[in-house]
Amino acid sequence: MNMVSRYLRELIGAAIGGWNRFWFSAADPATLGLVRILAGSMLLYTHLVWTLDLEAFFGRDAWVSPSAAASLMRGDSAWSYLWLVDSRWLLWTLHLAALAVFAMMAIGLCSRMVTVLGFVIAVAYANRVPGALFGLDQINTMLAMYVMLGPSGAAYSVDRWLAARRAGKPMPVATPTVSANLAVRLIQVHMCIIYFFAGLSKMQGETWWAGNALWGAFANLEYQSLDMTWLASWPLVVALATQVTVWWELAFAVIIWPRLLRPLVLVLAIPLHLGIGICLGMMTFGLVMLIGCTSFLPPEWVRAVIDRRAGQGRAGESPALDARPAEAAIPRRRPAGERPPAGQRR
Amino acid sequence: MNTARLTPSNPAGCTSASWGRWSRLLVSGLLAWHLIAVLLGPLSVPDAMIPEALRPIFRPYQQAVFINNGYKFFAPDPGPSHLVRYDVEMADGSHQHGVFPDLGEHWPRLLYHRHFMLSEFIGNAPPPPDWDPRLNWAQQPLHGWQREYAHSYGQHLLRASGGRSVTLELVEHGIASPDQVLAGVRLDDPQSYRSRPLGTYSGADQ
Repeated sequence: MNMVSRYLRELIGAAIGGWNRFWFSAADPATLGLVRILAGSMLLYTHLVWTLDLEAFFGRDAWVSPSAAASLMRGDSAWSYLWLVDSRWLLWTLHLAALAVFAMMAIGLCSRMVTVLGFVIAVAYANRVPGALFGLDQINTMLAMYVMLGPSGAAYSVDRWLAARRAGKPMPVATPTVSANLAVRLIQVHMCIIYFFAGLSKMQGETWWAGNALWGAFANLEYQSLDMTWLASWPLVVALATQVTVWWELAFAVIIWPRLLRPLVLVLAIPLHLGIGICLGMMTFGLVMLIGCTSFLPPEWVRAVIDRRAGQGRAGESPALDARPAEAAIPRRRPAGERPPAGQRR
Repeated sequence: MNTARLTPSNPAGCTSASWGRWSRLLVSGLLAWHLIAVLLGPLSVPDAMIPEALRPIFRPYQQAVFINNGYKFFAPDPGPSHLVRYDVEMADGSHQHGVFPDLGEHWPRLLYHRHFMLSEFIGNAPPPPDWDPRLNWAQQPLHGWQREYAHSYGQHLLRASGGRSVTLELVEHGIASPDQVLAGVRLDDPQSYRSRPLGTYSGADQ
């Protein structure tokens, strides 16, 4: 009995400790900042494309009338301020404002405010045209929600640049915060849920199990943007690609967490999603899934790539670089006659 | 490159201690609520008993933040695609024909895809309550919201064209098998299409 209670105490203690470490550790906001830039850019592009046929989708005489849109959601708590818009000038004013919000979100200007507005706008647009949505909109709104929850303007943002300029100092080191970690963790967990159920629901179909499901996608003329029907002669290649897709989706939620597997899982995500984009004409969907996957990039990787490319040896965006001792960062002036170290000779 | 820590890093050595116990408890409760709501989206399709029982509690929240999604991309099986063909009768008796989606008209690809989703939405409706097994696909009654959407599409086309009436037709495009393709059948083979009426609408139907 003693052993059982000790085991249970240990189990509960470990679970609580693990939960706290997972959700409530402080994290560098670099990853969240990168997700904000990419998600904001995708939201901007998505809504820019609406501009090309704005009144046909959101106007009074739209494809989906406000009453048809609301008919699917009657009695529910779905909402959209666009259901109430009845005039052209108001629609265009709101739309231009929405584009400005997404542009500000992408560059990180007034980040706190525009990320909240960005989420509200993304949901309002999605609920106005329920017949014209697909996976892109689901991931767009998901990313907008979590970017809104964390300090997404705390890294790689115009806000930081302006604050440093006003203070007349280099950009300060981004402070690790629990809320930055929470936002990134929520994206990660949500991505795991998406992949797991995308894989699990394929198990309900015969063609994914049999191995010819991808043929059904490649040979669909309305989706097709690259002719892959030459694969008719290569059924085993189709079967392999089909099975890899399903197993990768099913396993993602588990194999993305071990340190050694994560790079492989993320690398495999690139051909999978870009393949969907190139072959099935859904580049935006492929890219937005990859944006979701960037939440798994450790902040130090993000900093190693972005800060180095931006030539940021300067203080601020890179705690790792800032942490170097001053003498290591700044070459010491040699006394006259002293020979340079071997590594610096030409 | 330091690969020692692959989760969001903690360079300052901060831990959960930076948030108090009650804050963590409160946020943990909210996290649990939110994650259950996210999970119920895909668990609800097709119908299942536990998600059905929890639906009244979580649905308002799911809808409010747009997380009532199934995430069933190309599942359970990639199926035929759907298009909507229309014939608008103008006031002078002439006719304008068209189809959506239309690669030649809808650009960029995302805009084409939006039109494609309109036709897929109406084409992938579940069987209506009065579905009759004795009737073939083209003769089956339309689902209530299929009728509502067909009416909405019709009214849009009438307003856009200035026409007197419009007749809509749902076109289903089947997928050729590898053997058929190897035998020389084209993906746009006329035999791979079938259609059914979606109704005729006039401006007076509003």
